[in-house]
Amino acid sequence: MAATTGSDAALVARCRAGDAAAWNELVERFSRYVYAICTQGFRLGEHDAEDVFQDVFTRVYTHLDRLRDDEAFRPWLAQLTRRTCIDRLRSGGRETPMEEIEPGDLDETLSQLDESLAIHDAMASMTDNCRDILDRFFAQDESYRTIGEALDLPAGTIASRISRCLDKLKALLEEATPPARPEAR
Amino acid sequence: MSAYDHDTLGRLIAALPPAPDGWVRAAQELPAARRGIDGIVNRAVADAAYRERVVADLESALAEVGIEPTPPILEELRERFRSV
Repeated sequence: MAATTGSDAALVARCRAGDAAAWNELVERFSRYVYAICTQGFRLGEHDAEDVFQDVFTRVYTHLDRLRDDEAFRPWLAQLTRRTCIDRLRSGGRETPMEEIEPGDLDETLSQLDESLAIHDAMASMTDNCRDILDRFFAQDESYRTIGEALDLPAGTIASRISRCLDKLKALLEEATPPARPEAR
Repeated sequence: MSAYDHDTLGRLIAALPPAPDGWVRAAQELPAARRGIDGIVNRAVADAAYRERVVADLESALAEVGIEPTPPILEELRERFRSV
């Protein structure tokens, strides 16, 4: 998982100006989100999900000029992905029938994915080590031994490192969003 | 956002696994693919024999210029040829 820097709006502006590195970063930053909407939100099979994934990024690339507010890139991307998934499900030869997806379940899943994306954003500002350990363990489902070998760390220390990194992530998130104070009586 | 206990954080991190590498690479190569498509179309406009070859086998034409023929890329090339 690569660290990403800068706001979505700045990244979108660089993409629009033809900056190839910015396009690579934009795909890297949002590939998991688009993938998750396809596979978890709409439960597309691998083949359908791949087609939708490529279609979404093709549309982003060709329609970036139509985005009126660069700050609104995320909701625009989410909407574009939803629409492309729905088109796919309604088209012939689909792998998953549309009827199987309950609108309530879909909204809940998409809302959770938005929250997950915010967590991954916060992780991007952590040290390489913490970011890597958390991503490998939770998102890539790697064992302590695999993580230890990949990061050249003793496997026996991975569990405690995960715990410390989660504490740091928690502090980062709470710093960004202070908990609501109880109302004064 | 809900409380940030370890279980919740782990669940939220896990909800965004990486997309397959090949998919990400293909999406990152889109700008180069668009330039490749432009090149194919321009050449086909000027060269009837080449155009015939491309229309008969779009996938090979793309592979010749180093572009992976994903369905959206193929569809775009088809669309471009319809309007040439």
